[in-house]
Amino acid sequence: MNSARIGRRTIIAGALATGAALPAMAQQGPIKIGMSMPLTGGLAAGGKSALIGIEVWRDDINEKGGLLGRKVELIVYDDKSSAAETPAIYSKLLDVDKVDLLFAPYATVPTAPIMPLVKQRDLLLMGNFSFQVNRTVKHDKWFNNAPWGPADSWARGFIDLGMKSGAKTMALIGADQEFAQNLMKIAKDVANEKGVKVVYEQSYPPATVEFSAMVRAIRAARADMVFVCSYPPDSVGLLRAINEIGIGDSVKLFGGGMVGLQFAAVMESMGSLLNGVVNYNSWLPEKSMEFAGTKEFFAKYQKRAVEAKVDPLGYYLAPFGYAMGQMVEQAANSAKSLDQKKMADFLRSNEMATIVGPIAFGPDGERKESATLMAQFRGVVDKNVEQFRNPGKQIILFPEKWKTGELVAPFDKARK
Amino acid sequence: MTGRGVWFWIGAALFIALAVALALVVRNEYVFFAGFVILQFIVLATAWNILGGYAGYVNFGTSAFFGIGVYTAIFLLKAFSAPLLVQIGVAAVVGAAMGLGIGLLTLRLRGIFFSIATVAITIIAETLIINWKFVGGATGVQMLRPPVTPPFDSYIKMLFVVLAILVVIAVALARYVQDSKLGRGLRAVRDDEVAAESCGVPTLNLKLVACAISGALMCAAGAPSAMYLQFADPVSAFNLNYSVSALAMSLIGGTSHWIGPVLGAILLGSTQQLLTVTISSEINVLVLGLMLVLFVVAAPEGIIGLVRRLWRRVGKGSP
Repeated sequence: MNSARIGRRTIIAGALATGAALPAMAQQGPIKIGMSMPLTGGLAAGGKSALIGIEVWRDDINEKGGLLGRKVELIVYDDKSSAAETPAIYSKLLDVDKVDLLFAPYATVPTAPIMPLVKQRDLLLMGNFSFQVNRTVKHDKWFNNAPWGPADSWARGFIDLGMKSGAKTMALIGADQEFAQNLMKIAKDVANEKGVKVVYEQSYPPATVEFSAMVRAIRAARADMVFVCSYPPDSVGLLRAINEIGIGDSVKLFGGGMVGLQFAAVMESMGSLLNGVVNYNSWLPEKSMEFAGTKEFFAKYQKRAVEAKVDPLGYYLAPFGYAMGQMVEQAANSAKSLDQKKMADFLRSNEMATIVGPIAFGPDGERKESATLMAQFRGVVDKNVEQFRNPGKQIILFPEKWKTGELVAPFDKARK
Repeated sequence: MTGRGVWFWIGAALFIALAVALALVVRNEYVFFAGFVILQFIVLATAWNILGGYAGYVNFGTSAFFGIGVYTAIFLLKAFSAPLLVQIGVAAVVGAAMGLGIGLLTLRLRGIFFSIATVAITIIAETLIINWKFVGGATGVQMLRPPVTPPFDSYIKMLFVVLAILVVIAVALARYVQDSKLGRGLRAVRDDEVAAESCGVPTLNLKLVACAISGALMCAAGAPSAMYLQFADPVSAFNLNYSVSALAMSLIGGTSHWIGPVLGAILLGSTQQLLTVTISSEINVLVLGLMLVLFVVAAPEGIIGLVRRLWRRVGKGSP
């Protein structure tokens, strides 16, 4: 009888213990981080590079024993660079795959449609190089890894540099596409605020290949600086047209928002035509930009990138993918859980060390301070991608804290 | 109403009832996100087939109509905070008017020349929107949805049911066109337009009506898409993918019967959704391409043609 009672107790205790152990064991499963990424379509080159950055972080953290002691697993779907694909993908990640954390896809267009979804469900979303995507939605758990900072800081950096070298007038030229138009509008506002006169303003259709008429018009307007908001094919077309026609000796500063000049393939093919251009960037192999872990990261990235036939330099996006992971890691460790509210609180109120430098966020989830670089191409020779691995090819002029040289102006002089 | 008609409407009522039941019972929202896209393609493919299938006028302008539908909804929301049903209704009217206008300009062209003209329409429409700052211009626009209407507990479920109703309207219209005098006239146009004209078929008028119906449905499908994404930019809204998919779905399903585009859209639409979350790389584009080639070679009349051939064989008792 007694033994039977003990037996029953043992069984009950055993059952309770098993019941308690089950959720604990479930928690020991991997932490799933879900995202879509443009792996095909127009944004694929950037998407693949960004993904390698995130994968390097995943492998590093798993090597160290995981996040909160659990292995990290990435679930990635291809959004084909399209806005139409992402709502269904993110709902699959949340409702079917039951991921623990969300990363946003690379770029603004695929990210925009998922903002309302994450706001509705009150989830943490780590942004990946989108531009002002939280402006309308105003989600308080959005944190963008991009260095942009406040919307106007980009144009402000460029215009300040121009004004320091004596520029009083500006020409504005940009593609009729989402990002370029955003940037152009902001640049115009900043110019008005600073009393810089806009003497020429032109938008062109995205498929434009012939820029000689526009270059002639800029030349005729005799602008002191030229702010360009272009996409890779037009960036190339414009620089070629300038090389043939010349932009005139009045121009002190040329560039600003030219997308494409950060990618190894474009940089290699443009070669010496890049000299003198002052353009935005996110990370560069200059002495001032070496932080803890940066060197080790690029050693790993570049090995994988060559195998995957992705941008061999990977300066523009990849380290920021890694930084995204580092920030999540610090937030989760501080919260001692994956509690998204606690993690968001941490991300909002702390400065985090990453391989791209310290990152702190403002109330809108964008960087508190802009870390967008303005750098001038110098001494670039033709057909040599390896030269860009060395410091001195892109001199950082802005922001002040990472400055590695002075502006060479006028533009024509810097091109020689 | 004929016996077939009764069955059709019973089927349609069951379909809507199922959609409502799903929306009220199922909690997993992915079903509705993926289902929305498939239903949207059923409307687009059915609309495409009215002109492209029945009359044989291959139209690449689906994305133009779809995009205008998206932007009509955005305009109404921004200017008047119009509710969803008003957005869809007005988009349908705009689409019909656009169909008539564009039809008048292009339907005198035939064959490949008509098709090329319809590609241009997308480019023109996209350029117009790029330069219209009120609806966001080239930068695109983000919107916040109005609150959801009970009994639905989330907006996506409501959109799913609205789309299911739109599917029934589109299919009923296509079915009506197919069996009516209009449909017979359009088939005559497809077989030999000159002969039809000489027999007294008012070919241009019939084509215009078909173009207007088709345009109205395409625009109506675009309007809820604005609320689905809550974001629109011209490149996404006028994406050529809508034109190509609508055409491919009709061809794969079969263009001679209203059920063809429905089957094609379900097959291709679900395959696309499935591949996105399974293979998820360049290979999914390849799989779709192969599927198209396979159908064009092995079943030139689509699934319907394939079934008919099998049916005939069984009927004849041959192996």
